[in-house]
Amino acid sequence: MHLPDGFLAPQLALALWAATALIVGISLRRLAASRDASGAAGRPILMGLVGAFIFAAQMFNFPVAAGTSGHLLGGVLAGYLLGPWAGTIVMTTVIGVQALLFQDGGLLALGANIFNMGIIGTLGGTLIARALALTLGDSRGARIAAAGFAGWLSVMAGAGITALQLGLSGTTDISVGLPAMLGVHVFIGVGEALITIAALTFIATTAPDLLNAEPTVRTSLARRVGAGAIATVVVITLATLFASADPDGLNYVAQALGFSHVEAGAPFNLFAGYAIPGLDGTASTIVAALIGAALIVGLILLLSRLAASRTGDQ
Amino acid sequence: MSPATPGGRDARAAVIAALVVIVAIALLPMGAYVALALSWFVVITAGAYVGLSPLRLARRGAIALPFVLAAVPVIFLRTDELLWSGAVGPLDLTISGAGLRIALTAVLKAWVSVQASIVLITYVDAPTIVTALRRMRLPEAIATSAGLTIRYLELLRDEAKRMLRARTARSASPVGVGRERIGGSISWRARTTGNLVGSLFLRAYSRAQRIEEAAASRGATGSLSVGTLPAADPRLTLKVIGVVLLALFLTLCGALLPRL
Repeated sequence: MHLPDGFLAPQLALALWAATALIVGISLRRLAASRDASGAAGRPILMGLVGAFIFAAQMFNFPVAAGTSGHLLGGVLAGYLLGPWAGTIVMTTVIGVQALLFQDGGLLALGANIFNMGIIGTLGGTLIARALALTLGDSRGARIAAAGFAGWLSVMAGAGITALQLGLSGTTDISVGLPAMLGVHVFIGVGEALITIAALTFIATTAPDLLNAEPTVRTSLARRVGAGAIATVVVITLATLFASADPDGLNYVAQALGFSHVEAGAPFNLFAGYAIPGLDGTASTIVAALIGAALIVGLILLLSRLAASRTGDQ
Repeated sequence: MSPATPGGRDARAAVIAALVVIVAIALLPMGAYVALALSWFVVITAGAYVGLSPLRLARRGAIALPFVLAAVPVIFLRTDELLWSGAVGPLDLTISGAGLRIALTAVLKAWVSVQASIVLITYVDAPTIVTALRRMRLPEAIATSAGLTIRYLELLRDEAKRMLRARTARSASPVGVGRERIGGSISWRARTTGNLVGSLFLRAYSRAQRIEEAAASRGATGSLSVGTLPAADPRLTLKVIGVVLLALFLTLCGALLPRL
């Protein structure tokens, strides 16, 4: 997954360098401001040793399926053991050393590689693991299972974003590159998940203090709502940009078999065809999708309040 | 001239040169093969200066070639500048001239850029590069982490190799039993591998604690920054200007020389 130089458009490579510098800068500030899991902020020696450990641990592999071998990438594991901010710095270091020392990934593409594996994989993966663990009850088993799932997701997300970057650079066709990358990394991700779970289980059994030191971070409701809103806007915008103009499966079959004319019109036309009056093209679709998302969230909140009030009545 | 490791020297010029040349190569337009050949000439000349023969450099540059697979589909998926079309077995294939140009340019750029990185790491060792990056205002936490990662990398890799050797020794199978029969299910293999990883982490953690205690007893503050950085290169500005001019020349060649 380490992109070499020459495969990314220079503009994209530089933009990803800028994004990486910004997020790594935030990680450094957060790391300095807080002593997160295992107090890594004040322990540069531990961070350096964990970097060397990630390198060495990548040597361990085992056959998974379809000619692929499972081996550790280690982003979520590093984030879990050191905390998301320290983990991000460690993975930034590891990916940088891989590029400098072993030419595994390019120097101009280093920003993209750190973004894909260090930021999406480690920071994103660890935060997802924490959120998922909280949802599952925050027990030791839930935390480890969540870390395993986040490990798989981090590999898939990294592979998917790499394919998108190659597609945006014109080096490959997204319609081929994306399924190919995801198809291969499904198995590699399974290896990552299984090794992450097994390694954390081993550490939890042998040295439980190291994992119990991890504090559970509960962010405020406003922050969670804000993060969710930003994520929704980003996903909707990206999804709309890559949306196909072709009909969906049912429409296609209806057109092919000649029964699409049977369709009855809706009794009302609020945003027919995801179009907002006065707006054209992609912007119209994005605004319609955002309104739709807001309505769904509102509906869920309303139903949950109703359910809560009924439970209170009983 | 033998490969030099000017440890204790200011390596900023070398780091900047490698980065600037790689950026110049990345900026070359599609099909600028003449400019790419010139860039390769620059890189192999630098390689010869540090004692790397062009053949050896070219072979080591092949490390970037597995990514060719990512660029191959575009040859068959583009529909402009059709070079060939026909059936290969059940597949109807087309080869596009534009796709071929994109793929070939990407692969050549990657190959030449990797060689530029190889020249850099042959000329200056990794700790010297980290020192140079520290002088170029690389954040202290990253510089310290990178320095320590490089310092303990071989040690932990040796430890991992010993653990792998022990695993192999424990996994001996009777003669005539295929390798596919060795070991259990995927989850069993993953658990075994995960145990090795967990065990390696605990060893790394324990080593980190010992080093921290030893460092603290000597009054260390946790940073690797030292007061005695190598003397600054007095001709750094001149060298950087030279490298930037060279990069501009390569970029101009890419823009002006004929493309295929």
